[in-house]
Amino acid sequence: MSRLAIDVQDLRKQFKVQNNRAGLGGALKDLFKREYREVTAVKDITFQIPQGEICGYIGENGAGKSTTIKMLTGILVPTSGQLRVNGFVPHKEREKFVKEIGVVFGQRSQLWWDIGVIESFQLLRKVYRVPEADFRRRLDELVERLQLGELLNRPVRKLSLGQRMRCELVASLLHNPSILFLDEPTIGLDIIVKTEIREFLKGMNKEHGTTILLTTHDLQDIEALCSRVIMLDDGRIIYDGGLEDLKSRWSKGREIKFQFGSAVTTDRLRTLTEGLTGVSWTLENGVEAAMWLPNEINVSDALARVVGSSVDIRDIKIMETNTDEIVRAIYQSGSAETKAAAAAALEDDTAISGAARS
Amino acid sequence: MLYLSLFWEYLKNYAKTRLTYRADFWIEVLSDLLFQGVNLIFILIVFQQTESLGGWSEAEVVFVYGFFMVPFGIFGTFFNLWNFADRYIAKGEMDRILTRPAHNLFQVTLENMDPPSLFGSFIGILIMAISWGQLDLVFHWWYVPMMALLTLGAVLIYMGLYTALTAISFYSDAPTGILPLMYNIQNYGRYPVNIYSRIIRFVLTWVLPFAFVGIIPASYFLDAKHDDMASLALYTPLVGVIVFAIGLFVWNTGVKRYRGAGS
Repeated sequence: MSRLAIDVQDLRKQFKVQNNRAGLGGALKDLFKREYREVTAVKDITFQIPQGEICGYIGENGAGKSTTIKMLTGILVPTSGQLRVNGFVPHKEREKFVKEIGVVFGQRSQLWWDIGVIESFQLLRKVYRVPEADFRRRLDELVERLQLGELLNRPVRKLSLGQRMRCELVASLLHNPSILFLDEPTIGLDIIVKTEIREFLKGMNKEHGTTILLTTHDLQDIEALCSRVIMLDDGRIIYDGGLEDLKSRWSKGREIKFQFGSAVTTDRLRTLTEGLTGVSWTLENGVEAAMWLPNEINVSDALARVVGSSVDIRDIKIMETNTDEIVRAIYQSGSAETKAAAAAALEDDTAISGAARS
Repeated sequence: MLYLSLFWEYLKNYAKTRLTYRADFWIEVLSDLLFQGVNLIFILIVFQQTESLGGWSEAEVVFVYGFFMVPFGIFGTFFNLWNFADRYIAKGEMDRILTRPAHNLFQVTLENMDPPSLFGSFIGILIMAISWGQLDLVFHWWYVPMMALLTLGAVLIYMGLYTALTAISFYSDAPTGILPLMYNIQNYGRYPVNIYSRIIRFVLTWVLPFAFVGIIPASYFLDAKHDDMASLALYTPLVGVIVFAIGLFVWNTGVKRYRGAGS
């Protein structure tokens, strides 16, 4: 059994927030008697991440992602619950613990603004007590992979966002951490840099077995990197599992695109799939059409109807459901209650299928 | 050992970034010295009106001022956290500090090092040397290590007090004007405390021990006075250690309450 990199049990974080009353009168009242309310940012979440996994941590703004990451990295002290990362309780043994993790906050620089990139790296080498030889080897490897060669002598403030982010990654990996925490590592970057960073992270994970936990709003990060997704909503985990599972559970159907040899009409197509409830057609132009079919109907059944008819088919494409759309659907499916209900329904589902299996 | 080598690294980086702006560097040194000069002139003006201040002559008070400048300059070099609440708490830079394997207060102070303040210390030594001649005091070789020990104690007192006060920003959203207030109070410790009322004297000795930064340790080297402040001088290092320990405790407790900046 592989060791757990991250083990979280009933983790909770509450903040005391001051209620500011409106107007001048309110401000005066606040001066004498302040009112506070408790805001629970993270509500008793539990999850485990084994070593060597790349896990995506997603959710809307304010769902509690950053708060969780900050607890996992020892920056914030949890209100209650158990927390072990790399075998350490992060906020208790902070200085020992942080030697074995790397952290990149996309919105905030880890480097010193005024000095050259290489000088920042040298300073970090000292802070992390990395032997010179190890440091050289590691730096050479990272610089080559991320093509930083000519950037090393420039001060950080003169770098573009993409260049800076690549330097941040190097800075967080110089001491060869076993876990890497990334808070929105690709925010604001162009597609080329994004791809580069994704490839790089994948390589790190493969060669060094680095466990990676990343939060992101870019679901392509998730598709490219993560074998597992944890989805957070209003401080609670609403989904924890594989990306494929997420797709198949939340998608309601699939789409098949056809290209025909000659012009067809919607009516003609509809008659083909008559009797299959829920199937609908949209004609994109004279010779191209898309068929949408719900999950209950077999793809082969529907295909057989069309292929078996006399229409001349040039091409068939079965469209994968797009993660973006699924996640948007979950976010937009109304209030938290319906989401919770949906999540509960899912759990029932798995319970039933589990029972059926046994 | 680690902390010493880190100190050296940070100092090198300071030199690289700041010495490129030479004019800026010298203006800072000059304004620091000007500030101290005004204080010194104030003392000289007071002594135009009176022969002695609570039994202390002009040269003695100037000597005390010179002594005070030494720990104050060292303190200013290593503790330049006047914008701590804004930069590290409101802007959340503390996040970065907390994910690095060195004590967070140490990192913060090193990042804000201000070596120009050290010039004040040199001037202080010069002032002491001059008034030493005027006072016709004897000089023993062991005064040098003693001076270093008392200076160390005084620096620790300053560090401890201001560490505790800076740590208030962990507890309160908008730290009040307590730092400027404190900055004013500390000045009282440079004058013979027996000229103040008993309450102020007690506060300056035992509550906010600013007397242990100026008048008390300096009196060790001067002629004995009737109220014999010099007998307390050797407690300076002990008071320093205690005050610093309290400051560090308040800081470490405060860090646990750090909430980060929303992002």
